[in-house]
Amino acid sequence: MLALAAVFFITLDLSGSSATGGVRRAFDTVFAPIEGVTRVVTRPISTAWKSFRNYDDVVAENDRLNEQVALQEGAAVAAAASVRLAQELLALNGLPTLAGINSVTAQVIGETPTNFSQTVEINQGADAGIKVGMPVLNAAGLIGKVTEVFSDRSLVMLISDPDYALSVKVVTKSSRTPVTLPPLPTEDAPTVDSVLETTDTSSTSSTSTTTTTILGFTPSATTVPDVVVAGAGTSITVPIASQLAVRETGILEGRGPGNKPVVRFLDVSTRADAIEVGAPIVSAGGSRSLAPPDVVIGIVSRVVERLGTAGPVLEVELVADLSNLSFLRVLLYQPITEAGR
Amino acid sequence: MFERLLRAVASRWFRLILVLLVVLALQTTLFGDLRPFGYAVQVLAIFVACAGASHDVRIGLLVGLIAGFMYDAVLATPLGVSAMVFAMVGALSAILVQPFRDPPWWLRVMAVSVAAAGGEVLMPLMKSVVGLDGWLEARIAAIAAVTLIGGLVLAWPLLAVSRWTLQEKLTLGR
Repeated sequence: MLALAAVFFITLDLSGSSATGGVRRAFDTVFAPIEGVTRVVTRPISTAWKSFRNYDDVVAENDRLNEQVALQEGAAVAAAASVRLAQELLALNGLPTLAGINSVTAQVIGETPTNFSQTVEINQGADAGIKVGMPVLNAAGLIGKVTEVFSDRSLVMLISDPDYALSVKVVTKSSRTPVTLPPLPTEDAPTVDSVLETTDTSSTSSTSTTTTTILGFTPSATTVPDVVVAGAGTSITVPIASQLAVRETGILEGRGPGNKPVVRFLDVSTRADAIEVGAPIVSAGGSRSLAPPDVVIGIVSRVVERLGTAGPVLEVELVADLSNLSFLRVLLYQPITEAGR
Repeated sequence: MFERLLRAVASRWFRLILVLLVVLALQTTLFGDLRPFGYAVQVLAIFVACAGASHDVRIGLLVGLIAGFMYDAVLATPLGVSAMVFAMVGALSAILVQPFRDPPWWLRVMAVSVAAAGGEVLMPLMKSVVGLDGWLEARIAAIAAVTLIGGLVLAWPLLAVSRWTLQEKLTLGR
């Protein structure tokens, strides 16, 4: 009888019944004050425990972070300018950007009490506009999605949870080798005058379509030149159109704590050596995706080639440190697949 | 009517709900933060096992079911998964002490610890049954070991709490 009751509720919940959501909310109304009081009472014990366990690590990490902040201060200014430029270009072309999505800042107030789920509890909920399915980021990148929302708190499933899956893009290099031209000796380098004097000899006065061909420049070409002339004294790496970044798409799946998430279902034709370790992984976006496009997730840490028609599997090093979460940003972007929850 | 309400409030089941709320609050706060070797000690499972070990299989099943439903309500797991597992934990601890006429305290503590640790093995199995794969891996052994040790430490005081909670008539002093 008891087992039947449990099975009935499991079936009801897995079928997405709103009744179980009502039960959870009702229980939360009763439980939240008790949990709040308990949290206040037990916080000194938790803090003492953490201080005892983590003091040395925290000091070492603080030193490392101070050095890292100093290194990145300069780079951040340049990066901010590039990001602004990219956002303007995306806006000009009518493409979606993260800058156009409002967000809510929240603080992590609790970890999962169980050993079999990867969730954290944050201190913002439905009152702040948060809904189920919204993506959650920290300063580094994507960390998960909202799975349960109460009035003033929410549960966030981390990207490492085995139940988490997201369509992603892997920015890979082309299989073609870049063309790097050696520097010319200074005496061989063309001068401005000599370049301008080199005109197309095929042009005739009768057609009056004289074309001036400057070395290394093809008129009307908006991408890359076919003919390249090296400059003097420096190497020039010429990007070929087909050599620009290629984006492979796949599904990112969590594999539990201690295991790196993986990307599967890459195109079968994708060769493992076309994806290099360190290639960035970003969200793919799209109408049915759980996150908007181009949210940074991590980098490829290992490429596992598989036999047969199965494409390669990529192990992902997340940019966000999931073991040390404090302040998070919830993007107020509810995927279509989660609408109405 | 009022008398019936008073009787309901004074019943051991109402007391059980109140105690379970406190234990659950401890689980989600203190024991969620204190993670020996990176794993959370499942104090709620230990309490359920104590209820089973200090009473009988029926009480163990019922307490486990109620505690499990409460746990599911605060987690994102499907409602009923923890209920099934905790019901089995409560029943298991009762079954372990049943063959002994008057089991000594240390035997109850052992039974509680083993049952609670068994619950940590059952949980990923039950999650797999309902389609939540990915948790059946080697770390289950470490999780069960941490809960076993946690049970050895916490079982004795929790046995006293469960006995007080589930006694038929409440007596406060003489």
